[in-house]
Amino acid sequence: MALLLSAIIFAPTIGAILLLFFDRKAIEPMRYTALAVTVVTFLLSLGLLVPFDTAMPDIQPNGEGGIQAGIVVEWIPDWEIFYRLGYDGISLPLILLTSFISLLAMLASWNITKQVRGYLILFLLLETGMLGVFLALDFFLFYVFWEVMLLPMYFLIGIWGGPRKEYAAIKFFLYTLAGSILMLIAMLMFYFGSASYTPGGHPTFNLLQLGEIAREGGFDPGMQLAAFILLFIGFAIKIPTFPFHTWLPDAHVEAPTPISMILAGVLLKMGGYGIIRIAFPLCPHGAYVAAWALVAIGAFSIIYGAFAAMAQTDFKRLVAYSSVSHMGYVLVGIAVWQIHELGGTDYWQMGMMGAMFQMIAHGISSAGMFFMVGVVYDRVHHRDLNRFGGLAGLMPLYSGLAAGIFFAGLGLPGLCGFIGEVFVVLSAWNYSPALAIVAAGGVILTAGYILWTLQRVYLGAEYKGPHPEALTPMVGREIFVAGVLLVFAIVLGVFPFLMFDLMDASTAQLVQSLEQGYQAAEAKAADVAAVLKERLLR
Amino acid sequence: MLDWIWILLTAAWLLPLLGFAVEVFGGYWQQSRRDRTPALIAVACIGAGFVLSVAAFIIWGSETHWGVFAAEPEHGDVPAQQAVEDTTREAAAEDASELQPADAGQQHSYRKAISGTIYTLARFGDLKLSIDYYVDSLTLVMFMMVTLIATCIHIFALGYMSDELTDEYVDHQAHTAGGDHVHRPGRYYLFFSYMSLFCFSMLGLVLAGNIFQVFIFWELVGICSYLLIGFYVERHSASTAANKAFIMNRVGDFGFLIGLMVIWTYFGTFSLGPETIGDETRPGIFAMVRNAEGGLDIRNESGSPVVHLNGSVAEADDAGAADGEAAVTAERTIPYWLLVVAGLGVFAGCIGKSAQFPLQTWLPDAMEGPTPVSALVHSATMVAAGVYLAGRFYPVFTPDVLLVMSYVGCITLFLAATIAVVATDIKRVLAYSTISQLGYMMLGIGVAGWAAGLFHLITHAFFKSLMFLCSGSVIIGCHHEQEMPRMGGLRRKMPITAYTMLVGVIAISGLAIPFTILGMKLAFSGYHSKDAIVATALAFNYKNPVHFLLFLVPLVTAGITAFYMFRLWFYTFCGEPRDRHIYDHAHESPRVMTLPLIVLAVFAAGVAVGGEGGPLYRMLLASEPAGVDVGSEAIDPTVAFIPEDVGYALVGQPARAEIHSVHAQAGAFALIAAAAGAVLAFLLYVVRVVDPGEIKRQVGGLYRFLIEKWHFDTLYDVAFVRPVHRVAAALAWFDRVVIDGILHWFANTSVRIASWDRKVDEGLVDGLVNLVGNVTFRVGRSLRAVQTGQLRQYIMFIALGVLSLFVLQFIFFPR
Repeated sequence: MALLLSAIIFAPTIGAILLLFFDRKAIEPMRYTALAVTVVTFLLSLGLLVPFDTAMPDIQPNGEGGIQAGIVVEWIPDWEIFYRLGYDGISLPLILLTSFISLLAMLASWNITKQVRGYLILFLLLETGMLGVFLALDFFLFYVFWEVMLLPMYFLIGIWGGPRKEYAAIKFFLYTLAGSILMLIAMLMFYFGSASYTPGGHPTFNLLQLGEIAREGGFDPGMQLAAFILLFIGFAIKIPTFPFHTWLPDAHVEAPTPISMILAGVLLKMGGYGIIRIAFPLCPHGAYVAAWALVAIGAFSIIYGAFAAMAQTDFKRLVAYSSVSHMGYVLVGIAVWQIHELGGTDYWQMGMMGAMFQMIAHGISSAGMFFMVGVVYDRVHHRDLNRFGGLAGLMPLYSGLAAGIFFAGLGLPGLCGFIGEVFVVLSAWNYSPALAIVAAGGVILTAGYILWTLQRVYLGAEYKGPHPEALTPMVGREIFVAGVLLVFAIVLGVFPFLMFDLMDASTAQLVQSLEQGYQAAEAKAADVAAVLKERLLR
Repeated sequence: MLDWIWILLTAAWLLPLLGFAVEVFGGYWQQSRRDRTPALIAVACIGAGFVLSVAAFIIWGSETHWGVFAAEPEHGDVPAQQAVEDTTREAAAEDASELQPADAGQQHSYRKAISGTIYTLARFGDLKLSIDYYVDSLTLVMFMMVTLIATCIHIFALGYMSDELTDEYVDHQAHTAGGDHVHRPGRYYLFFSYMSLFCFSMLGLVLAGNIFQVFIFWELVGICSYLLIGFYVERHSASTAANKAFIMNRVGDFGFLIGLMVIWTYFGTFSLGPETIGDETRPGIFAMVRNAEGGLDIRNESGSPVVHLNGSVAEADDAGAADGEAAVTAERTIPYWLLVVAGLGVFAGCIGKSAQFPLQTWLPDAMEGPTPVSALVHSATMVAAGVYLAGRFYPVFTPDVLLVMSYVGCITLFLAATIAVVATDIKRVLAYSTISQLGYMMLGIGVAGWAAGLFHLITHAFFKSLMFLCSGSVIIGCHHEQEMPRMGGLRRKMPITAYTMLVGVIAISGLAIPFTILGMKLAFSGYHSKDAIVATALAFNYKNPVHFLLFLVPLVTAGITAFYMFRLWFYTFCGEPRDRHIYDHAHESPRVMTLPLIVLAVFAAGVAVGGEGGPLYRMLLASEPAGVDVGSEAIDPTVAFIPEDVGYALVGQPARAEIHSVHAQAGAFALIAAAAGAVLAFLLYVVRVVDPGEIKRQVGGLYRFLIEKWHFDTLYDVAFVRPVHRVAAALAWFDRVVIDGILHWFANTSVRIASWDRKVDEGLVDGLVNLVGNVTFRVGRSLRAVQTGQLRQYIMFIALGVLSLFVLQFIFFPR
């Protein structure tokens, strides 16, 4: 079992090493090898489902002696750094999503003809980084994987990208790096701050232990708030939310199609995951204090992204802005932390699970949308929305699949986008009616820009752009990728409990422990205030 | 046996989905486009749905011993006591799908709803979202109506859409940039797959057992409507109309969503009937908000009214428990104003879906879709879903919301009728008439004529789908001509269409022979239902004289309705042909199209047989929420701010007895109005006492105002569409220029600092280093001159050195 976790992370790396031995010219064999590697990784990640106990909220699989992690191996013992992996209901869906989207993106990579070996190697290293982020339970390890993921992405955009690839790659890199540095500062704050709470007086990077300290009211509120802001900005860049989002349109526009799929499908989820896994559990008090700002930023991003999407004329840029809008729901859902007399934390749990579902749903729908843009871009080599039209007549199957995927993005019931969005919005009134109304207002704008796009691209009497002869029907590989994504969009939309069952226990526990952490910190602060008061009076 | 009811209905609901899957994925696009199989599958699915619905109805009837049709006292004399016997209280206490046998003590078992869960979508602690069913007599009526009409329309469409059965369809209304017509393969299979998907969505909406599920299918019928309006994707007008329909519906759904949020937060459930969570059964929304008498339990808490919600979890367990937490949860309340918000929110959804003022403008444009779509989606079923929901959700609506509803309906019915008078496109006249009739239904429900409003929904569905199909038959007969000024005299060419249409026209106008034969009025369905609405409005008017417009406007509009409907009929079918070419080529439609017309005509005439004593009305009445028949008194808020039991209301609602007492009077008024309208149309368009064109010129300003549809499209374009695009452009600019500008400033500044750094580095630091190096080098270089390699010279240097050392020593350190 412990081996499985490492195998999932490093299978792509092994694949990447394997590719080094291939002849530079053996392009097809390399592609199939890389594809096989992603398939194996996906199957391995499915293996996580086998021992997974949906009723158990803790990190799985359990080691003995109360160590709630799959693997704990000393790495740099002098600094208390461990190689510590494990998963629970919060990370499992994202791990599955990652290996799934990687597989499909690999299938979409057949059109890459430039320096194929380098591309494939970087692609696989990227997958290692992503999976590592979702499996790591040691803050330092998490940070390492976070950075590991960054570099391949930089090169993948910077070498295989479009005309302004250098600009986009650097923008992406610097933005993310700025976030990483903030995260690094926060990490060190917790590392050194934790020494006074651990039994042996050793500082720790163990996320579970740090979370436990926070749950018992450790880390004083001031520090929690400071650390939370640092962590939040670091993760908000990744989500991305207004005003940290402008790297996204550029990166997407310039990145090749499969990289856009990964970027939208997986990388953005790391921001949300980081907030849920690290920022909230480590600083519950800070999170509670900042919750209103988070919901407000999320709600504003929804509206802002939708408006910005509406004004775009570049097909890919439009989809990129729709990501900003959709990921706003994630932030709203995570942060609707309200202690209601009647519902208890049920509404918050609903928001949290809605947010996590939205991450999965967006992973599927946005990857699909980018893929659909890529299919037509590969044929006619332009993305100007005003120079399309009539594709429904020329490529009926493509148009049908694209309509389905775009409807998923539109939040149509029966498709995955609806569940995430509507659950978040429903839970939000309990927190703040005004912000809930703002968030709900997104439904009108989303319908507006998606339908308008469909009209401009797929409907109409004829195609208005260059290379009409290149608009050939989809090939089998493309049909497979799009079809699989649409099927998953439908399955998750109709049977959302498939995901919710995985998340339920872990989220419930998370919400409870955050609540306790906040109360404990409050109680401690009150104690301190009382002591101070007493001393002053004396 | 009772379980069979929902199983059958679920099967009827899912069959069209299966049909859709087969039709769309069955590969019918691959071979020839001439295959009728997908259409036949669609017809079979929906036809089977009808059979299953009827079977469910029969089971339901026999299980309740047909109590619904049993002789009852005349409706006016129903003692108020009986209303107490309601679904809600007992339903709350009993198992979800358990229905008591109809013994002596339980005469009204037919009034109970059967509800339960099909599967759970998600659970969050005590919150549950699921796919439920909720079946009462209203559900059954709706199921039979929808499946029957849909079957007729599907069969009609077999013929109507048959020109799609070709590999090269020429769309004469879609042009390429070169001005040619668009040629494309036929899409017969696609049309029927969309129709099947629509039927699935619509039936799901009716079967839905919770309001969230209603919302799900609400959106799904919306997207089906989008697909069907935009069926001719090549036509820009069609795709624009489809977008408009969906987006305007979303505006209403935005309100719906707000209503849902309030309900979810304060009720903690969406379920209409009792809901089971774990091993605990909780009451649904209706039982929570209404007490057994159908009243709202309003209390005054710290100066503002709140509504007490009954039977929450803890109360059901043990109301007097010492457990403090349970005592808290037992007091579930919702501030009164939020209940109003919830009601208005849900009603906003109804406004969008039923094309009520101010969201009415999408429906006429929706006529871009094929005519069977207009008949099924945009007149009989989907647009009526708004009214259905208003009826279904009635217990949650406070009197204030109902008053808003009445006025919205009232404005809509007048506004649409006036536009219908000047419209010349045969389908658009019908579209405006649909909007107007939906306004009647809303008004009816709003003035507490619950059963009257839904009665009109059912009758309207039949006669309006009939008329749309007739118009479709005319359009096909005239080779896709829709303008009435180019028709005329067609009854000689297409008699079946003409006379079935006449049935519909009489029905909608509400004409009747003002005496009874064998105790039954000689009248078509529309007379009964419109009569019921007008009577309720009149009784409402007597009770609340301030709101006299709610009676006057519908009455006047009844006349206008008769006028424009007869105008349509005379214009199309009577007089001399105005376009010889069209007339000469006109023909009666094939039997596959006329047969549904005849069937629908029979129903349009007879579905409401017996009026308010008839089976249809009794079926509807069996689902009426408690307390509606008792009515309420108007409360003057200055006298009694918080009333004890009747509800917090600015308006009084008429009791059934009061409505009954003014029925004859209202009926007479309505009949006079309708007859006047019909006669006027006859005079203008058949006898031609005055030339209508002359009138048009006389009131040119008004005419243009009406032709421009009261300028709503222009207004919305200026007020909403353009500002939205402008804001979007502004935000995109902000993104590009401001945010990225700041970033670029930082980047450029860094680069500039770096270049200064480079200068400092190269000029100063490197300069110093280089200086040292250079000096050393130069010194070394200059010293090279002395490296001659000549021994004598070196010795001389050494000697000179030693000498100078001694000299220095003597100078600096003299002894």
